[in-house]
Amino acid sequence: MTRPALAALLLALAPRPAAGQQLTVGPQFVLADYREVASGLRYRGSGFGGALWARRERLSVEAAVLRVRLDPAAGSAATASFTATQVDAWVAYDVAAYASVEVGVLHRSADPEFDAQSVGAVRVGARSFYDIGPGATVVFRANYLAAPKFSGGGRASVSLDLGLGLDLRLAGRLHGTANYAFNRMNRRTNPGGTGEVDAPIQQSVARVGLALAL
Amino acid sequence: MPRYRGAIMCLAGLAVPALGAGQAVQNATLRNAQQAYDNLEYRQVLTLARAALRERLTGPERARAYELLGFTYGAMDSILKAVDAFKQVVLIDPERQLDPNRVSPKAYSAFDVALRQVLLVRQLRIDSVSFVGGQGAGAVPIRFTVTQPARVVARAISSGTTVVIDSGAWNGQVNLRWPARLASGDPVPAGTYTVVVDARLGQNTASASQPIRVSHGRVDTLPTVTSLPGYQFLPETEIPPQSWRPVGLAFLYTGGALVGTLGLESSSLGSSSKRELGIVGGAALVTGFVMMLRKPAPRPAEANILYNRLLRDQIARRNQDIAKENVARRQQVQVTVAPVPK
Repeated sequence: MTRPALAALLLALAPRPAAGQQLTVGPQFVLADYREVASGLRYRGSGFGGALWARRERLSVEAAVLRVRLDPAAGSAATASFTATQVDAWVAYDVAAYASVEVGVLHRSADPEFDAQSVGAVRVGARSFYDIGPGATVVFRANYLAAPKFSGGGRASVSLDLGLGLDLRLAGRLHGTANYAFNRMNRRTNPGGTGEVDAPIQQSVARVGLALAL
Repeated sequence: MPRYRGAIMCLAGLAVPALGAGQAVQNATLRNAQQAYDNLEYRQVLTLARAALRERLTGPERARAYELLGFTYGAMDSILKAVDAFKQVVLIDPERQLDPNRVSPKAYSAFDVALRQVLLVRQLRIDSVSFVGGQGAGAVPIRFTVTQPARVVARAISSGTTVVIDSGAWNGQVNLRWPARLASGDPVPAGTYTVVVDARLGQNTASASQPIRVSHGRVDTLPTVTSLPGYQFLPETEIPPQSWRPVGLAFLYTGGALVGTLGLESSSLGSSSKRELGIVGGAALVTGFVMMLRKPAPRPAEANILYNRLLRDQIARRNQDIAKENVARRQQVQVTVAPVPK
């Protein structure tokens, strides 16, 4: 069976959601830019991921997983590539027709472990969404990353995450999705007890993919 | 005496009505007993009638044999025996009736005493009648006779329905009026019923039944309405006019992400790649532009939804009124009741 035929079969067999429920799931292609400590330590890369989004009445859940191989960018002082695996999850509650408050988690790990910081944090924030046309929705998100933990130690009193999203129904149950996320963590460390030094982390990610509405 | 013999024979022939053509006596002994009675040979009648009763007889023949005994005992002034014989007659055929103008007073008296000593429900009569159900005057007249004071229950029974017509402690002629109505007030369903009258006195029971046919006239019920004259449902969605809103919002959201990114960028890390934002932001802007050119999505028209809801409520209320009216109309159907021959 060819892939288009398999896709058509999946579309046909997919059960319809109950009234007030929506569920989309699909793969994504990922582009990423990652910087750490100083402007000379920067990486770029691409990879794949997947996303799931579900809604029931005013409650919605979103989760995204991505795995990106980040290589030293041109002119970077970095010498080795690493693979980053990131998991994001949100639970949101609609407080208005175009706004939600949300909480979630962020976890990013690096492989090899010591080639970049692994980080975990709690997300607290809000998002605004608007239907700009039939089957087209844009989303803007702002999250505060609370209590971040780094594999190399240190703290970050100010850590923020911004996001831009687009969901477009292409045909029937097939959606196109595009998401942008930028996060900045003002990490400070105290190596060897000699005093705190800045070791900020900055990452931008674009995820583009398809999703099937179930 | 011989000169009166012809007249007595004539009276006796009148006093003992012959069986109908369909009930001709087949038993030879009984025929001989009848012949002996016609000849006023009473002892011979007693012998032959008793002998006949020992033989195989049909129900009417058996009743006839006892009746011959009753008349004979009556003629011989053995009233108690006459009463006993007539009791057997009415037990076999409760509807048996003697014409007081055609039988001797002694025999009639003995028959009347016999009736009073046996519990019977007899002469159940239901007249043909037609009336409008649900109105006070219309009812089915039912009459019957109970020969002893007894607890009596009259019912109308069909395959799916049993309706108690009336009950009470009655004796003698009873006249009932049945409105042919269910407890709900609806007329009893059309069909064939059997009116059964049960009487109970201690351990003794008796019953009589009469089939009847109940039919209904046509009922002109009102149809339910789906709309009200002069009022029409309005579309519950409306298509807003085309505007710059889609591209404006896409620009606003993308601009917000861009400004936020620029504002959050760390000076020590340098300007980040805008490739990622460019891809997603560009997609949002292109989508917004396309949506601006497309026909906008329908949106709920709240005023029309409210109007339609009010209209539906009005229609529902009107249909409730129609349903009540139809219930009354169904109860006021023309009901025709006619007895059915058994």
